[in-house]
Amino acid sequence: MALPIANQIRRLRFEHGEMTQADLAERIGMTRQTVAAIEAGKYSPSLEAAFRIAHVFGVGLDDVFQWVS
Amino acid sequence: MSFREKSAWITLVTVLVCFGAYFVELFGGLSRESHHFGGLGSLHLLLLSVLALAGLQIALTAIAALTTPKHGRGPADERERMIQLRSQSLGYHVLMVLAVSLFAPAFFGHRGVEMANFALLAVVIAALTVAVAQIVMFRRGA
Repeated sequence: MALPIANQIRRLRFEHGEMTQADLAERIGMTRQTVAAIEAGKYSPSLEAAFRIAHVFGVGLDDVFQWVS
Repeated sequence: MSFREKSAWITLVTVLVCFGAYFVELFGGLSRESHHFGGLGSLHLLLLSVLALAGLQIALTAIAALTTPKHGRGPADERERMIQLRSQSLGYHVLMVLAVSLFAPAFFGHRGVEMANFALLAVVIAALTVAVAQIVMFRRGA
């Protein structure tokens, strides 16, 4: 079942020097597979992990994750 | 594939191979009317199976560690911990159902080592359930 949360991680990675999933994973203390699952909308990260991702890209939480009603 | 998914595959394969061989021999012995099933002979088989399981798991886990990038071998992250919790919860419920169902062979007159083997079978099925659940969740994403 698709999660009601969209994300811009793929675009943000591209805009930040084509950062790889492995690079992002290392910076937020997760595995590459978990980043891939978040990016694909298969796993909703905890609030802390969401803030870590936003912090890496230097943007707000809303710029990374959006609620899709 | 993450290190923990590889570990789940290793558990699935090694438990299937080692305890599969154990129970095939055990129940095969039952059909041949040997004394394996309820006798002490099953203890030798069990010891062999456990040793083979430990040896295989150590060797395969070492190979998995060597073939996984260093950053993939760190502590489990939140998604991996969630997968472990969900799969262990499922395995616990399977084990509870099987534990209660152990009354059935007891009702039909099985005793002692025979009942111990049925209990071991319940534990093995629960362990396989945990491994399969982990693999499915790792493959699905969560």
